[in-house]
Amino acid sequence: MKILKMDEVTKVYEGKVTHRAINQLNFEVAKGEFVAVMGPSGSGKTTLLNLISTIDSATSGMITIDGISPEEMTKTELALFRRRQLGFVFQDFNLLQMLTVEENLVLPLTLDGLPIKEMKRRIGDLANKLDLDQILEKRPNEISGGQAQRTAIGRALIHQPTIILADEPTGNLDSKASRDVLELLVKVNQEQKTTILMVTHDPIAASYCDRVVFIKDGEFFNEIYSDDRRQTFFQRILNVLSLLGGNVNDLSTIRLP
Amino acid sequence: MTFRQFAYRNVVRNRRIYAAFFMASMFSVMVFFMYSMLMFHPKIEDEFLREFAVSGMIVAEIILYIFTLFFLFYSMSAFLQARSKEFGLLLQLGMEKKQLNKLIFLETMLIGAVSIATGILFGYAFSKFFFMIIRELLQLESLPLYIYWKPFALTMGAFISLFVIIAMTSVVFIRDQKIIELIRGNWQTDEWQSFSTVKAVLGIIMLLFAYTAAALTSTNVVKALSIILPPIAALGTYFFFTHSVMFILQRLRKRKSLYWHRYRLIAVSEVSVKLRENARMYFIVTIVSTVAFLSVGTLTSLSSYTGQFRELNPLSLIYSSELTNPYESEHISLIRNELEEQGISYSLVPFVIKQQTSSYSNFKVNILRESDINSLAIALGLPLISLESGDGMFIPYSEESIKTLANREIQTVLEESNVPVQIKGIYPQMLFPSMIIGSNLIVVSDADYELISEPLVGRTEMTSSFNFFAFHVAAWERTKSIGLTIDTQVTNAIYNQSYSDLPFYFENPGLNYSIIRATFSLLLFTGLMVAAVLLLAAGSFVYFKLYTGLERDKRQFDVLKRMGLTDRELIKIVNRQLFPQFFLPWGIAMLHSAFSFLSLQVIWSNLAEVSILGDMILVLIGFTLIQVVYYFLIRWRYIAHVRA
Repeated sequence: MKILKMDEVTKVYEGKVTHRAINQLNFEVAKGEFVAVMGPSGSGKTTLLNLISTIDSATSGMITIDGISPEEMTKTELALFRRRQLGFVFQDFNLLQMLTVEENLVLPLTLDGLPIKEMKRRIGDLANKLDLDQILEKRPNEISGGQAQRTAIGRALIHQPTIILADEPTGNLDSKASRDVLELLVKVNQEQKTTILMVTHDPIAASYCDRVVFIKDGEFFNEIYSDDRRQTFFQRILNVLSLLGGNVNDLSTIRLP
Repeated sequence: MTFRQFAYRNVVRNRRIYAAFFMASMFSVMVFFMYSMLMFHPKIEDEFLREFAVSGMIVAEIILYIFTLFFLFYSMSAFLQARSKEFGLLLQLGMEKKQLNKLIFLETMLIGAVSIATGILFGYAFSKFFFMIIRELLQLESLPLYIYWKPFALTMGAFISLFVIIAMTSVVFIRDQKIIELIRGNWQTDEWQSFSTVKAVLGIIMLLFAYTAAALTSTNVVKALSIILPPIAALGTYFFFTHSVMFILQRLRKRKSLYWHRYRLIAVSEVSVKLRENARMYFIVTIVSTVAFLSVGTLTSLSSYTGQFRELNPLSLIYSSELTNPYESEHISLIRNELEEQGISYSLVPFVIKQQTSSYSNFKVNILRESDINSLAIALGLPLISLESGDGMFIPYSEESIKTLANREIQTVLEESNVPVQIKGIYPQMLFPSMIIGSNLIVVSDADYELISEPLVGRTEMTSSFNFFAFHVAAWERTKSIGLTIDTQVTNAIYNQSYSDLPFYFENPGLNYSIIRATFSLLLFTGLMVAAVLLLAAGSFVYFKLYTGLERDKRQFDVLKRMGLTDRELIKIVNRQLFPQFFLPWGIAMLHSAFSFLSLQVIWSNLAEVSILGDMILVLIGFTLIQVVYYFLIRWRYIAHVRA
């Protein structure tokens, strides 16, 4: 079953220079799939994510998420849709500094006005799963990057969204923390069958996924599926990247786990 | 591009960022200049209360200067904080610390110079308008615009020195920062929950104590309290903002059912951050607003006193004299001569007041004759009375007594002469100030008056009654130079506490009025000056803090919007976030002033029979309206910014 469907989606930025960020992109994500989107700088990854996030709208084409088309919704409906159906993980965590870890986790639920009991129950579950028990009372500036990103993932998970959108979730983390976060995402994906769409630069991060979609200049370029061994999948990702022909700079230096 | 050009372009091309700082500085200059214009005004110097005025204005200008210094210093630090990223970048690109200091100095001086120039320009443009208001307030005949170098020199000198001080010192703020910290913009060290419960409770207790003491104050202790309470209240306020607020919010945050409720989670936590970060600023704003409220409130109450002065003192000149007084005829002819010399028309009503003991209360009563009251009433244009034999009437000793005694009926006998009197009702207008004759004053019919022949118990005939000379002058405000020599004698006697030995008493309400009005106008004048600046500064502090935090708030709302915050929720959060920032300092200041006014009322009712409540409420409502308008204005701008 397809949870996300993009049909001939085009996004044009009007301005002094008209810029076609996404060009007739077709793209599908199945339920329970863990998909990475890769591409060189300026290939339209962030635009793609913004379109799916419903904070930007496509110039033409159709986007459907879980059978719902965001285009037909009002601003308020969209906000409620994001709040209930989408989970976000950002490169720089974007935790609210004035809230504790626990409060950051519970934020999407309080916005929706869930009963306190239910909120506490979900926090208990999640904190355990994400290993956040010890730091629930801490502030975001008192915890490490890895812990912060785990908190952010918790925040994205707590309302059990249809799909999690992750924008370079390992971009600000060291290799150890990156690995932790990625393994966590894999675990979440496998155990809870949560659909995850991750935009990344990092071939290592991409190698944890079920499928990697490559885009270039806003157009579909290639896609590859994982195999049994992550090492070989990683190698195949590198091969496609070199085919992509982006500047060498676009590829981060290889860090083996 | 030279270094100076760089500084210049920095300012000119960043004018949007600089606008807020520039506006605030310019406004300060403008106000200061208008005040200096008034201070050096030749009309004021020549005519109006020279000695008072000059010293009063100097005090006001000094307060203004210190306050502006403080205000600009604060604004500058907030402003540099907002630009820390830029400075970090410059340092990273290889700029020396010395050069950075020079850059900031040049920029500050540039803004300073421009704001001084435009401030003076606008100040001069608005001076005429300002003078018109002041002219109305002080009831001067004219207050023309003038050109004279002194106000210009004073303003320029004051503000150039001020900007130099600021430009030199504000650099301190970035001196010890590491480049990386500047670039990240991490200025404050985060000191979460750094409140002490003891101080939090102490703050609340101190405030409650101050309020209770102020509310329950009485004549005996009011002086002592007026010295003790302000420091207690100030310290209490400080603890309240730095500790108690945190304490209360912490309590609230523990109550999850209240706290984890929709957008309240964000609003409350955001408010607690803002209140904690700016606790000291809110303390200053509160104190400043309180001072401003109080000074304007007090002054309004003073002017309400001058408004009621004429009603309380319907007679223009009063001379009362014991029968043994040897100076009587000399004084009366002196007063008459002086009145005639100045060409003031008057009517003189002399009468004799007799004293008897009332069988009803066993107290001494002062007795007037019906026909005397009627001739006085004719002179003053007040209603006449007619009394049957055996009837009497109270003469009011205060505004209040007119109401309380209106329906009293007393059957009494004037004991010494054995004259029965039925006292019914009260004369409907004030005739004499209570100081003059005392509170136990009645009027009886002419026939009964004649029957009173026996002297008061223990007194001779010569000392149990006294002569009273009431002068009515239509142009009562012109009598201020009449009978100065007699007035001096009375004043000296009161001063030497030998007042009871004096065989006569003289009162000149016209003179009193001119002194009171002059003093009050001056107080009003300086008070309004300072209050205006303080209120302006209080508002600007809040504005500046919001402005410098705008980037961070905007980022935060972007994240929240992405996570699914609706527009309505955003506005609700903004409301709940801005409201305490505007109205908490204001509310505390209101409370402070309200309770201070309670004490003030006690002091006031000792001086004169005037209620200041009405005026106070009016003043407080006025300030509230200004604050509400200010709130909506800022809220509108803020929402526009964070939504953009």
